[in-house]
Amino acid sequence: MSSSTGLPSSGVGGGGGNGDGGWVQPFPSKTSVQTLGKRIQKEMLELNADPPAGCSAGPKGDNLFHWVSTMIGPQGSPYEGGIFFLDIVFPQNYPFRPPQVTFKTRIFHCNVDSTGNLNLDILKDGWSPALTISNVLLTIKAIITNPDPYKPLVSSIACLYLTDRAKHDEIAAEWTMRFAR
Amino acid sequence: MFRSNNLAARVFERQILTPRPGTSVNLVRHFYENLVPSCTIYDIDCPDHSFRKFTDDGQYLVSFSRNHQDLIVYRPTWLSFSCKGEDCDAHSLPQKAKRFDSFFTQLYCVSLASSNEFICKDLFLYMETHQFGLFATSTAQSHEAPTTEGAIEGLPSIEKITFYLVRLEDGVILDEKAFCNDFVNLAQSMGVFLYEDLLCIMSLRYQTIHILQIRDSGNLVYVRNIGIFCREDDELFINSHAQSMGILDKSKPDDSSDRQVANGVLQLQVTQGTSFLSGIKQRLLSFIFCKIWNEEADPTLRVQHLKKKFYFHFQDYVDLIMWKVQFLDRHHLLIKFGSVDGGVARSTDQHPAFFAVYNMETTDIVAFYQNSSEELYSLFEQFYDHFHANSRNSLHTSFISSHSNNIHALDQLWCIKNKANSISQFVKKMMTSLPCTCQSQSPSPYFDLSLFRYDEKLISATVRHRHSTEHPIKFISRRQPNMLKFKIKPGPEAGGSDGRPKRISSFLFHPYLPFALSIQQTYMQPTVVNIHFRR
Repeated sequence: MSSSTGLPSSGVGGGGGNGDGGWVQPFPSKTSVQTLGKRIQKEMLELNADPPAGCSAGPKGDNLFHWVSTMIGPQGSPYEGGIFFLDIVFPQNYPFRPPQVTFKTRIFHCNVDSTGNLNLDILKDGWSPALTISNVLLTIKAIITNPDPYKPLVSSIACLYLTDRAKHDEIAAEWTMRFAR
Repeated sequence: MFRSNNLAARVFERQILTPRPGTSVNLVRHFYENLVPSCTIYDIDCPDHSFRKFTDDGQYLVSFSRNHQDLIVYRPTWLSFSCKGEDCDAHSLPQKAKRFDSFFTQLYCVSLASSNEFICKDLFLYMETHQFGLFATSTAQSHEAPTTEGAIEGLPSIEKITFYLVRLEDGVILDEKAFCNDFVNLAQSMGVFLYEDLLCIMSLRYQTIHILQIRDSGNLVYVRNIGIFCREDDELFINSHAQSMGILDKSKPDDSSDRQVANGVLQLQVTQGTSFLSGIKQRLLSFIFCKIWNEEADPTLRVQHLKKKFYFHFQDYVDLIMWKVQFLDRHHLLIKFGSVDGGVARSTDQHPAFFAVYNMETTDIVAFYQNSSEELYSLFEQFYDHFHANSRNSLHTSFISSHSNNIHALDQLWCIKNKANSISQFVKKMMTSLPCTCQSQSPSPYFDLSLFRYDEKLISATVRHRHSTEHPIKFISRRQPNMLKFKIKPGPEAGGSDGRPKRISSFLFHPYLPFALSIQQTYMQPTVVNIHFRR
């Protein structure tokens, strides 16, 4: 992974990997926090002005860098009736690095692993600083409805999805009923 | 209502009067105005036990040995003695009759606790239909608990808590369940609630509500655990699906296997290393979310509301822990949520608390209130007896006075309400009594506020220790406001004027006989037990 900012990044989740090798991440300069804050603030206003259907998001407490998002299980999908909570962490060098998104609610989905990590191209190599949180939420919503079994995190679910869609949907619906209500 | 206060006249009236339909029990209870425990035997010679309670059917007196290791059960018997000569009533009681043994027969003494364990003297629940008693023993509480996976920090830990189901008839231990390195609030039976044959135990450290059933055979059977998961087979369900395979390989169950076996749960394997919301939290958060979502139809406003009311407090909701739980009926639980620091401390002013009604069959949150909610308070005021549903199933216990069934109690409540400076403070204060503590009230008719009036600061149906005063406690007739019916005086007959400050007394009333024990403890002094009865 190449760092596009010039700042040495110690892991994606801002401030995460301080323990290794005695490396202490320097405080980001004031201007960068301000511009970053402005950028996130702007994205928030944009999101609030035109919220995508069935999803919403907002900062947790007064921390602008840590958001929570809620996805309402899309109608017609096996996830219908579920309320999915997601954790969104903006890295220090946002928007040059993608936000980190994890599921806080269990979901039976081939692109979400058993600890809630989400495999989404735009949150990895496909990230572009031009993307905003609204785009991210829409993409997540899309992948919930249409899983991508060709880039799975859990291959067994992807396999089931491709071979026995009805069974997959049945399990996913049961999973939603049990863990996502 | 009887026209006369004379007992003989009342008996005669009972023969010829027909009370209004359905009120004959209430009429008969008026006889308690005539039959009062007015005779006191001071400082009775009795075994040095700590007396806990009369069972609600009046069959047993439960006590523990001073070293808190043995359970001693007595059968209350009515005093009988013989005396020589005529006109016995005029004589005072013969000295021989003034003994503990004249009133109680010891049924048995069983040892419940081994060397380093002690019986929790606050904890005793009685299952009247089967005459089973539930007791608990525990090892010492430690505040420097090792952090364990799945356990929340900041709470004390007890190495081993064991619950015993004892058949009170003969003292046979029918079953026991142990909780290791856990914390259950045993003070005043706070962490345990019995409803019919269902028992719930609130494990604070592992944030799990254990639901057990007491079978007719006397077995304690796990029905479900509510906490990390909501349904009893959720865990099995996860394990049976491919998604969890990776985790099962990675987890090392060796460090937690003791607890898993002991508590009958195997939930750590699937939760290790994940940051998913627990089952009950997911339900709670989605309930709050949906409520706000549905309140506002306009998408833009809705987002604003969610941001302010939900996302801003999200972490606070996630950090809430379950503190206390009670059954409302066989399916519904009332759960109190609060902050980690807020539970041990008595005052709840600084710490917000919330109440949720949870249906454990459908696994839905039915309602959610903050502790300052006036809506919840109005339910509390009008339907208080429903919160006590468990202990109102037998005949005597259905007469326990509360502000929902007794106008005098309601008057008192309104009086406090009107005096309160701020209504929200008042509501919060009242809500501290929820969820109700199981079997905490004595069904004795002498606490019936429609029959007697007494100073509730000194004595009440709620069984607990109180600071005692030098003066006897007066029970005054409700109907004739100036008529003193009887007095209860704890402590020695002559005592009370030596100015010793720390006197604690407790009162054990028989559920239906005119019979009570008062126990007064003074610092560094022997305990004084008085027997109050009707001669």
